[in-house]
Amino acid sequence: MNRRTLTVMALLALAFALIACQPAAATPVPPPQAPAESTKPAPKPEKLTVLCGAQEDWCQAMTKAFEAETGVKTSFVRMSSGEALARIRATKDSPEFSIWHGGPADGYIAATNEGLLVAYDSPSAAKIPASYKDANGHWNGVYVGALGFCSNKDVLARLGVATPTSWADLLNPKLKGQVSMAHPASSGTAYTALWTQITLNGGDVDKGFAYFRNLHNNILQYTKSGSAPGQMAGRGEVATAVIFSHDCVKFNEEGMNSLVVSFPSEGTGYEIGGVAIIKGGPEQEAAKMYVDWALTSKAQEIPPTVKSYQLPTNPDASVSAKSVKLSEVKTVEYDFIKSGEQKSGLAERFDSEIAPAPKQ
Amino acid sequence: MSMGRRAHEFRRIVQDPTLLLGLLVAVLFVAVAVVWPVLRMVGASLTAEATPLFAKLVTKRVYQRIMLNTVILGLGVAALGTALGFLFAFVQVRLDVPCKRFMHLMALVPIVSPPFAVATAAITLFGRSGIISYRLLGLQYNIYGLNGLLFVLSLSFFTVAYLNLAGMLRALDPAIDEAAINLGAGKWHVFRTITLPMLVPGIAGSFLLLFVEAIADLANPLVLGGDFTVLASRIYMAITGEYDVVAGAVLSVILLVPSLAVFVVQRYWVGRRSVVSVTGRPSGRPQRITAPVARWGLFAVTMACSLLILLIYGTVVVGAFTQLLGINNTLTLEHFNFVTFGYGSKAMTDTTALSALATPISGLLGMLIAFLVVRKQFTGKSALDFGAMLGIAVPGTVLGIGYLLAFNRPITVGGLTLLPKLTGGAGLLGGALAIIIAYVVRSVPAAVRSGTAALQQIDPAIEEASTNLGADSATTFRRVTLPLTRPALLSGLIYSFARSMTSLSAIIFLTTPNTRIMTAQILNEVDAGRFGNAFAYCVILIAIVLGAIGILYAVVGSTTGAERALEARG
Repeated sequence: MNRRTLTVMALLALAFALIACQPAAATPVPPPQAPAESTKPAPKPEKLTVLCGAQEDWCQAMTKAFEAETGVKTSFVRMSSGEALARIRATKDSPEFSIWHGGPADGYIAATNEGLLVAYDSPSAAKIPASYKDANGHWNGVYVGALGFCSNKDVLARLGVATPTSWADLLNPKLKGQVSMAHPASSGTAYTALWTQITLNGGDVDKGFAYFRNLHNNILQYTKSGSAPGQMAGRGEVATAVIFSHDCVKFNEEGMNSLVVSFPSEGTGYEIGGVAIIKGGPEQEAAKMYVDWALTSKAQEIPPTVKSYQLPTNPDASVSAKSVKLSEVKTVEYDFIKSGEQKSGLAERFDSEIAPAPKQ
Repeated sequence: MSMGRRAHEFRRIVQDPTLLLGLLVAVLFVAVAVVWPVLRMVGASLTAEATPLFAKLVTKRVYQRIMLNTVILGLGVAALGTALGFLFAFVQVRLDVPCKRFMHLMALVPIVSPPFAVATAAITLFGRSGIISYRLLGLQYNIYGLNGLLFVLSLSFFTVAYLNLAGMLRALDPAIDEAAINLGAGKWHVFRTITLPMLVPGIAGSFLLLFVEAIADLANPLVLGGDFTVLASRIYMAITGEYDVVAGAVLSVILLVPSLAVFVVQRYWVGRRSVVSVTGRPSGRPQRITAPVARWGLFAVTMACSLLILLIYGTVVVGAFTQLLGINNTLTLEHFNFVTFGYGSKAMTDTTALSALATPISGLLGMLIAFLVVRKQFTGKSALDFGAMLGIAVPGTVLGIGYLLAFNRPITVGGLTLLPKLTGGAGLLGGALAIIIAYVVRSVPAAVRSGTAALQQIDPAIEEASTNLGADSATTFRRVTLPLTRPALLSGLIYSFARSMTSLSAIIFLTTPNTRIMTAQILNEVDAGRFGNAFAYCVILIAIVLGAIGILYAVVGSTTGAERALEARG
């Protein structure tokens, strides 16, 4: 009897599942939700949910300051760039967030191309140099930072290796298992490194990947978020990390005193941290206020208070002495449009070709 | 079964509205919250979109390696964890040594421990620049990879084996041992030919449970994996990196196969081989081991393990109060400040509230299912029991992806909304309901098991007496059965709350901007490398769980000790 009952139950459950599966497969898109507050005059917005791509304390300081200034109750969730893009894409029928703030522009461009962002002509955007924003206002730059190597000088000394000053230095066999970087599928930082390598190889994607296949042998672990490798270096778990230089300065200031920043002589990539309004987000009015505010010099002077030393994009904002000036570092011709277009495909290729491969 | 009997059964169920309602609730729960999401996930992995992925998984060396790694990790943790559990249990029951209570407590700590606590502490202590490995001993030990994972996972999961085996060892009848000794057998001979064979079902059961836990774990491979990639971490990357639910579903199905196989083996093979009678009370005191070498050798090993556990959790606590443990040992409250005054406070209240809501639901649901299964006769009984137990057989990650697929849009039949969208920020109650359901599903199996064990100890005659005196099913259940099974209910509740508070894999894909979950926040902190904040979260989480256990005692009340209640679960 038991076996028969089981069969009956299983068949019933299967039938149920088949019925339930039908709408998912057959109807293409569920009816779009009517965009809220499109026609009626908007009352003063009350709350705002931000998808934040920078460091947790940066996000906290920013949203707090915006809330203090406007009275709009602002909360945030931190997500790495790739994660954020994936989430916005997956929830585009009923977005959870209205603003995306922080994290490299490549992701913002990819989102723009997929029609996930709203073009907004912010009055504050006039101040921002044209090279740091989208011509149509889909996103605007809020900070700029250069990619670098973040090394633990004690560990390097222990290994008998000099501070790396070129991409080639990272391939030193003595650094086996001593290099860390994030996974380009989830992290914008790591994607910047990937695109930098492709640029250094004259745009040849295969050659860029060949570099990472070599580097893979020296990598201890690919982390989810971009700055985490810097913390690993700071704790002495690895000798060097590929991260944005301002994050390395931050960790050093926070007590990881063995960390030193260096830059590759071949040239390095850089990021433009963005801010954008998410299409269909529940708080469009508040989102506009947020963009207007994020581009002001006042907002861009907040990060140094939480030891984040990216360069502000607003020329009126004062620059911390600890920030790395792009003019002092050899940078590559970083084509954000192209890198944004290819982001998803390249990240996926990295994920299937490089990340899980065995090491030699 | 004849039509006549079925009609009779139908009439009997309809005539007892409580039974009908209870059955409806239980069946609906199992069908909607467990079976359907899993089927939905299997369905997603059978679409045309998924076929090339399967082909890649089967043909590519890289993926064969990942699957092999997963199995190696599962077997390794199962073997080590069971051995460790057996060691602790054996010392506890069969040895006359000091500090037994301390060792017992240390074996229980992992139940209230959040994920990552052991892994982060292990890196701090035994990492490449670890306090013990490098600063104290000058070793360049590489904890990243299989070694570290085996170490951390065995220490995190062995409690299940310990509780199972200690219970079984206590239940063994010493008379058999005595008989063997009287016939001239030595103690080692008795152990080898009597004790061990009697424990085989327990050992096999623990082995299989640990295997499932280990291959489903996504927290530890994320921080300690090194280049040892396993399926669970690939699933995590597929979802967070690309939000590729189809790839997630495909990988999940592959993870589901060994888990379910193990579950079925445990249920139908190991369960049947059980030689320890449930009702049999052991007569007399179990034989103690008196040979000094065996006695003190076992004691030394167990004590060392206990001290290691103490050291690890001590590191968590100390780490929460220091700047950067091992690098900058200045005392600070900064981490607690960050955690409690930042978004952490919302995570604390959200997680506690959702767990607190899920706890009584799973406790009562578990008791209800146990009651139906043990006391009532109806068609589909074993299917109901099987479905309820699936919550523990299905890896958490797999369940989470199943929920994403099953509840990401309203369920409508003919224009009528049966169930609104549950997952994501736009879901019902900001996605909180989906998390509560996931918590309940994960906790119900333990509640069912402890309920079943308790009910089997109660003579049905007591309940029949109540019915004969005119009480209906509901009154009997409420006034007679529940009070008699209170210790089991309590242990079910405690376990359920602790399990909900500390669960990560099942809810990691279900958190939304409106629902912040502590374990997910810990994942964030660990992932970003801010161990101090992670430690502070762990300390607070453990404090909340311990506080709740205290409150549960005050409310539900019990004459037995906390640990004894937990033991009843095994």
